[in-house]
Amino acid sequence: MPTEALRTNPLREGLTSRTMPDPCTLVIFGATGDLTHRKLIPALYNLAADGALPPAISVVGFARRDKTDEVFRTELEAAARKFSRQSLNDELWKSFASCVSYHRSEFDKFEGYQDLARKLDELDAARGTCGNRLFYLAASPDQFEVILENLRKSGLNKAREGSWARVIVEKPFGTDLPSARGLNDLVQNAFDESQTYRIDHYLGKETAQNIMVLRFANSIFEAMWNSRYIDHVQITASEPLGVEGRAGYYDKSGALRDMVQNHLLQLLCLTAMEPPAGLDADSIRDEKVKVLRSLRPLTGDDVFKHVIRGQYSAGAINGKRVAAYRDELNVDPGSTTETYVALEVNVDNWRWAGVPFFIRVGKRLPKSGTEIAIHFKSVPPVLFKATGESIDDNVLVIRIQPDEGISLRMSAKMPGSSLRIEPVKMDFHYGTSFGKATPEAYERLLLDAMSGDPTLFARRDEVEEAWKFVDAIHAAWATRSDDLAFYSSGSWGPGEADELITRHASTWRRL
Amino acid sequence: MNSSRAMPQPGDACNSVNVTFDPGLPVEIGKIEKELGHLWESSDDTKTRASLINFIVYTEDTESLTADTEVISAVAGKHACRAILIMANPHAPVSEAKAWISAHCHLAGKGERQICSEQITFRLDGDSAHALPNIVFSHLDSDLPLCLWWKAEFPEPLDEKLWGWVDRLIFDSSTWKNPAHQFSIIRHLSSSDTTGRVLCDLDWTRLHAWRFALAGMFDHASAFPCLSRVESLRLQCAPGKRTTGLLLLGWLASRLNWKPSGEGDSFLTADGTAIPFVIDDVPGPNLSLLSIHCGDALFELELAESGDFFESRIHAPGTRDTRQILPAGRSKIADTLLSELSRSGRHPLYTKSLELILPLLGK
Repeated sequence: MPTEALRTNPLREGLTSRTMPDPCTLVIFGATGDLTHRKLIPALYNLAADGALPPAISVVGFARRDKTDEVFRTELEAAARKFSRQSLNDELWKSFASCVSYHRSEFDKFEGYQDLARKLDELDAARGTCGNRLFYLAASPDQFEVILENLRKSGLNKAREGSWARVIVEKPFGTDLPSARGLNDLVQNAFDESQTYRIDHYLGKETAQNIMVLRFANSIFEAMWNSRYIDHVQITASEPLGVEGRAGYYDKSGALRDMVQNHLLQLLCLTAMEPPAGLDADSIRDEKVKVLRSLRPLTGDDVFKHVIRGQYSAGAINGKRVAAYRDELNVDPGSTTETYVALEVNVDNWRWAGVPFFIRVGKRLPKSGTEIAIHFKSVPPVLFKATGESIDDNVLVIRIQPDEGISLRMSAKMPGSSLRIEPVKMDFHYGTSFGKATPEAYERLLLDAMSGDPTLFARRDEVEEAWKFVDAIHAAWATRSDDLAFYSSGSWGPGEADELITRHASTWRRL
Repeated sequence: MNSSRAMPQPGDACNSVNVTFDPGLPVEIGKIEKELGHLWESSDDTKTRASLINFIVYTEDTESLTADTEVISAVAGKHACRAILIMANPHAPVSEAKAWISAHCHLAGKGERQICSEQITFRLDGDSAHALPNIVFSHLDSDLPLCLWWKAEFPEPLDEKLWGWVDRLIFDSSTWKNPAHQFSIIRHLSSSDTTGRVLCDLDWTRLHAWRFALAGMFDHASAFPCLSRVESLRLQCAPGKRTTGLLLLGWLASRLNWKPSGEGDSFLTADGTAIPFVIDDVPGPNLSLLSIHCGDALFELELAESGDFFESRIHAPGTRDTRQILPAGRSKIADTLLSELSRSGRHPLYTKSLELILPLLGK
């Protein structure tokens, strides 16, 4: 005699994991590309290995090259073996690979999408994927328009009743505000905002997610998180790599568009935002948008006072000689594209009045690292003045990558009969404290998109506000280029960037 | 002290330290902290002393000391700790207490920096075994959580002072000789607790992969309604490991609002329908198969021979049969402990499940 039918799965209660996403088919456009091989497939395999994927899932690779399912799977296996966080287990890979297939078509051939629709219906019937579709635009951005248009024309953007269709859009979301608006309009011709997931993989990193917990779950920090106690904030993203085969894209983009518009402004938002009303996606994104709207616009001459752009010249990285940017393959020899940018940004609101945010990002810098450093104000120079000791300010560092963690610098007395004050560091490492590997950002983000949780994805207004800020800088740069500073590869950037922060009586942190 | 274990050199790759049992450097019990200080002063700059928890292992089995030290080493590699290994023999004719100190160092990341945890080993014979609370209290790293892995049957009466200090009490019900009695002690600990102590049964921790996989099988909207049509259950357990199967059944019963029938071989649904279950003795892992019959539908979860994977099978009329390979988690004791230590919070479903299976344990 059956009891009343259940409305939710009661077995989920108490498990540390979230509810498994609905069965679905993930269609990857640009399935033979680097992103698919290095990030998406390893992330999907890791989700499968953690038992986080639903039993009924299909992955369809959509690309132009001619190949069989078998060849496609073999290529993906090689990539997964190389890039997966967890080592590949043959049995699990076999099980996962059985859900992967390949669909060959030109992106601009409508028939290819009609064939895809038929294939997805067959997969629904064969694998029980229930008509749920997640389209991942991992192709080159110049293909987005044609893909989205064909998805719309073929009706793939519309889900059957009781099913869903979503789209994940990879960055860059345009190259400026008009193109971002154009892309957003294009996406929304096919998918409405609730179906659209703009991926910024920085938001999927554990440490980025931890910023809110650090700030709003620890009374010792939040009480001091304002202009009364904080002197300035430094946000850094450095890498020793050059353009590495991305010259075609990068020479048009530059560091400001490639990194600041998305990743670094997102980190700034998480650092500067007010406590959200709730943990739902829109409450958090509303607060981030408020920060972007509070950014003091940098226009005209202010750009040249508060923004330093640089380009790497020849130098050495890890003891090896490397070429100047202008000598890289496929780079215009007269290029004025910035490979380094340092900005002094002000958030004009009550909390942050008078607290500059210094942002720097660059290629061919000595080491790789992304961090947010909160520099607290100095203690009054009274008590220890007579001893002649200089006291370093307290600095709270949130390391986003690598070696995710948090450290706090403070002053301590050195053992001994005399009074000597030295800075000491308290360090928290994710790896040693929690004893388990942190999932890759793409794992979290793919799972969120499958589950319909947009919290860690950028909303349209966030993207457009960020472009508005960045476009004003580009507009000023377009008037002249004599401000472009050069720095040797392997150095920490141009001297002008040091002067930018020296004006605030500070120096860039040594990573 | 075994210096190669205590202070390995960079490049030793001591991520897993294999040792035959050597407790380390013998020390006077009253001078342990001082000797530990000397140990660290003599180490080089590549080693960092770290501690995030107090991890105490209590055993009365002298044969397990080597294995216990290996487990401590594995735990220290992921959770830097002050480890205290206590080997007690309360029945020894002569009363004696001895102590040793050593360290476990693990390479951190790709560099040469090593994170080192210290271990204090005690041997408590005869009456000295009653000094256990004092030994524990006087050698804890202050302010850090205390995790006690109790590798013996729980004594009665319980020393409330000792248990009151424990933040996380770890035990393994699958090793108990008299589970009915031991579970009743656990129930007492649980019901009398006012300190927020977490009770961690490693056999329950092992069942996490089972529960996770089973929840996944019923996640889909077309599957979970079957849970209200369960007609019977069948499990395969290793001989003598019936409690493992019962714990899983207790969990299912708690989730589906079933009560024990009093017959010892069935549960009753809220409307009084009997759900019979059968536990077959099959040599092998503690638990190897669960079949859930829901009318015409059959849901099966079977542990692969290797023990690394589950095969989940769903057969339901009118739909395509589904088969999936799912991770079964690692079965080594160190992995189970690490999994438990990585998880925060209490196990409310464990105590609920326990309540439901207590009437079945003696049957």
